[in-house]
Amino acid sequence: MSGDLGDLGRFAEPSLLILVSLSDKPRHGYAIMTDVEELSGMPLGPGTLYAALARLEARRLIEALPAEDRRRPYRITAAGAQALRTQLVGIESVVRAGLTRLDGPADV
Amino acid sequence: MHRLARAILSLYPTAWRERYRGEVEDLLRRRRLRPSDVADLLRGALDAQLHPQARPVLQLAVPASGPVPVSAMVTKPAFGMVESASLSLISRRSFLRRMLGAGVGLLSLEFLGGTVAFLWPGPAEGMGAEYSVGTLGEINARFPEWAHGTPMEFRPAQAFLVNVPAAKALALGEVADVTEPAADQLLALWRKCPHLGCMIPQVCESRSRFQCYCHSSTYNILGEKLERGPAQRGMDRFPVRIDEGVVIVDTRELISGPPKGVVTFRDSHPQDEGCS
Repeated sequence: MSGDLGDLGRFAEPSLLILVSLSDKPRHGYAIMTDVEELSGMPLGPGTLYAALARLEARRLIEALPAEDRRRPYRITAAGAQALRTQLVGIESVVRAGLTRLDGPADV
Repeated sequence: MHRLARAILSLYPTAWRERYRGEVEDLLRRRRLRPSDVADLLRGALDAQLHPQARPVLQLAVPASGPVPVSAMVTKPAFGMVESASLSLISRRSFLRRMLGAGVGLLSLEFLGGTVAFLWPGPAEGMGAEYSVGTLGEINARFPEWAHGTPMEFRPAQAFLVNVPAAKALALGEVADVTEPAADQLLALWRKCPHLGCMIPQVCESRSRFQCYCHSSTYNILGEKLERGPAQRGMDRFPVRIDEGVVIVDTRELISGPPKGVVTFRDSHPQDEGCS
């Protein structure tokens, strides 16, 4: 069970976005897809979506709920929420540092 | 596009299909698929085959009543996990064999496609094609003089379309109005002079005969060689027919003009005169 999304390679970013998408409520595949596309403005292909879902599920960061009418909702697990929080805090510190340096005094 | 996407789903490992196929198919049905989605599915298939660690573990959680807030989940461990029995996965060997088979199949398909495309008749143009001139109504509208006997120049086939009864009347100095000749009353005379291949101009007004610019070979309005000029036969012609009301000139077949001296129609002028 790994909390680090960095070793997911090209699935790291989709995985992060999927976790964000699942952070308020469980969603099924199509809902995740449209939500992520709305969040990031980038298209998310079905192959990438399910490759990332399979990895997240294998790491117990998300879990599947019983299917309703062929659609299976996914729910973020406690470990997933923890991993997401860690990632977001990490990103946030980078964001804050970048913005601070941009706005800071130009003299060196 | 959807059919292609569904076909790609069969390239995924069996275990993956058992677990995800239904929901992915449902997703594909809702989405307007783009070519990039299909390519993405294909990449996903390759990924699923190559990365066994990414293979799904079937684990179903007991559904929670309503959405669970993130804060609660951080502290509350997931519960009710059910590990499934080991799933039958495709072996490396059979995967490689399948990929080889797919590769060979794709190659032979390409080869077959290329061969068929090569042998397929291309869009025919120029000499050797069938041309539709139009319906008789369209021809009369485009060239009203045709009903009174003047041959109509039809450039695509490099031919004069002759309305035989009207043309005969014109050459005899009579007034005719034949708007609907039968198919066997039509001639498509090739404009290339059978002597040395010069382009034969429209019939002259003075005698309603064809006369070649180059050596004055002279033909009556039906393309039959008269006495003047060196050509040894009448103007060559193409088969003409009327298909469902449309006049068709078939330039795939060239019919030699009648030999010099065979003249079935005499106009009102001396046989040894040209146009001037």
